[in-house]
Amino acid sequence: MAPTQAPAPPAPPRRTALLLRLLVGAQVLYVLGVAGAGYATTALGKAVALAAMPADLTTLKTTDFVRLRYAAATVPLAQWRGPAAPRARQSVYVLLAPTGGPAEAAVVGVFAEEPATAPGQAVLRGWVTDVFPRTLGLRYGLERYYVPAASPLRQDRAPRPLRVLVRIAPWGQARIVAVEEIVGK
Amino acid sequence: MSRKFFDTESPAWVAEGLITEAQRQRLLARYPPDAVPAVGLLPVLGSLLVALSALSVVAANWAALPPWARLALLLGSLLGAYAGGHYFLQRGNRGLGRGLVGLGLVLFGVSIILVSQTYQLVGYDISGLLAWVVAGMALAYAHRSRLLAALTVLIGAAVQTYCTQGLGSYSYATAALLAGGVGYLWWRRPDGLLSTVLAIGLLWQAALWVALAHAKITWFFIPAMLVYAAGDLQPGRAAGRAAQGPPLVAAYLFALGLALFGETDAYAGLLRPPVLAYLGALGAVLALSVLGKKQRGRLDTLPDWLLLLPGFYLPGGLPLAVATLVVLYAHAGSVLVRAHRSQNAEQLTLGTVLFVGATMVAFFKLTWGAFINKSLFFLIGGVLLLGLSWYLRRRNARVLAAAVPPNAPAP
Repeated sequence: MAPTQAPAPPAPPRRTALLLRLLVGAQVLYVLGVAGAGYATTALGKAVALAAMPADLTTLKTTDFVRLRYAAATVPLAQWRGPAAPRARQSVYVLLAPTGGPAEAAVVGVFAEEPATAPGQAVLRGWVTDVFPRTLGLRYGLERYYVPAASPLRQDRAPRPLRVLVRIAPWGQARIVAVEEIVGK
Repeated sequence: MSRKFFDTESPAWVAEGLITEAQRQRLLARYPPDAVPAVGLLPVLGSLLVALSALSVVAANWAALPPWARLALLLGSLLGAYAGGHYFLQRGNRGLGRGLVGLGLVLFGVSIILVSQTYQLVGYDISGLLAWVVAGMALAYAHRSRLLAALTVLIGAAVQTYCTQGLGSYSYATAALLAGGVGYLWWRRPDGLLSTVLAIGLLWQAALWVALAHAKITWFFIPAMLVYAAGDLQPGRAAGRAAQGPPLVAAYLFALGLALFGETDAYAGLLRPPVLAYLGALGAVLALSVLGKKQRGRLDTLPDWLLLLPGFYLPGGLPLAVATLVVLYAHAGSVLVRAHRSQNAEQLTLGTVLFVGATMVAFFKLTWGAFINKSLFFLIGGVLLLGLSWYLRRRNARVLAAAVPPNAPAP
């Protein structure tokens, strides 16, 4: 038990009050900036379409997202371009090229350092999850798709192949812009 | 001493003439009874329930909300929490005010995460969440609040964990912000709770680095003992000692593990960093620690460093196990002697527990190998224990005899 506490401290001086307001304002601006980065990525980013399958639609009953299994999540080890053998959890640059037609991009190579791109190619960043004897497991950070309330995915019973439209911003962020079901496959 | 105890006992003190009634009244006035907090808590609990119901409504309909509505909700609650916090702080209600500011800080991070999720946005480095740590630090300094500083340490731990596990890289900026920013706050305004939280937070940062870099785990003890040395240099003794707790526990567990598993050379091999680099770094930290201890007059805690003796350079096998056990015994003994000198009951208990722990390890370790050596070892341990107990008891009696003045009446 301590002796009686001193009375409450006086209100902070005006400079501190101003500083606190600035701090809160900066936080609000920052959150708005994150939202702005989302719009800017759509507007300025390179468009890439990726083929994927939803892993398990039943999770939609309890959560807001489905896990997407990208076709580009498993690549042959022969496509690895790096000075040393790939290690799990290493961050990598995946060079993608459109295969022509409306279809999805194909992996050209997986690089340890950022590669130069030819016109029409795009670089998506990712991480190595597993190194198998012949293949390489990759993760792009885009595996969780938060399904909007109006999406047809919410009506599906069985998983159907999807085309995931991704935009890759020049400053390195990426976002899923839309997910379409591939009809007639 | 609690107020209740004083209330019930003090009339007897007056009756026995220890204090006068006037003195009793003055003492009662000096320690006013704690205000009944239950009534003040009711509005808080009520608003908490309302907030929870609002939260569940929002969570249930989150997917149906358009992005602008989500953004407005998040920013609205962020601003509301900060505004409420500043309002209560200005009215002098520091606990509630800082609590609300802390809530605002948590909401800031939640907003960053949920807005990124709304736009399905991924970043490939930690810069997005680093702003959270920076905001926590700035708020802790602006409010000079140790609570917010401790919260920032937790946020830093979460951010670094995500960075190493999710992004596969280490955020040196986060570690530096915690060590430098919160560390400086702790240096200027030492506090027991913040010391412990900060020390554990920094150890966590160090452990994540060791795991990510696949470094020998013994390298962990260089930053850990730097935290320890900072505790030595800290002018406030209690805060310094509190900061030294976590590194010491880590070092003790490590020594215990070495005693238990060090016999196999494979394990010891995992621990051996390059001799010169490791010993050089450890020596530098030791020098810093000794300097701090000397400056602040705490050289009595120097035997803590016994736990850091790099026994793992010894060849694996019985020599290593026995050497580690000897070190554990010596450390426990040093704690006991120190506790006895300072007449600190808690330290005495700790020392005894450490001693018994070392004996248990010795028992498990040595009953598996050759029996003769073990019995000899226990003989030495038992003689040590008996000798120590005899010495401590004798010293205790002498100290007590010296403390009681010769002509004082017997109790």
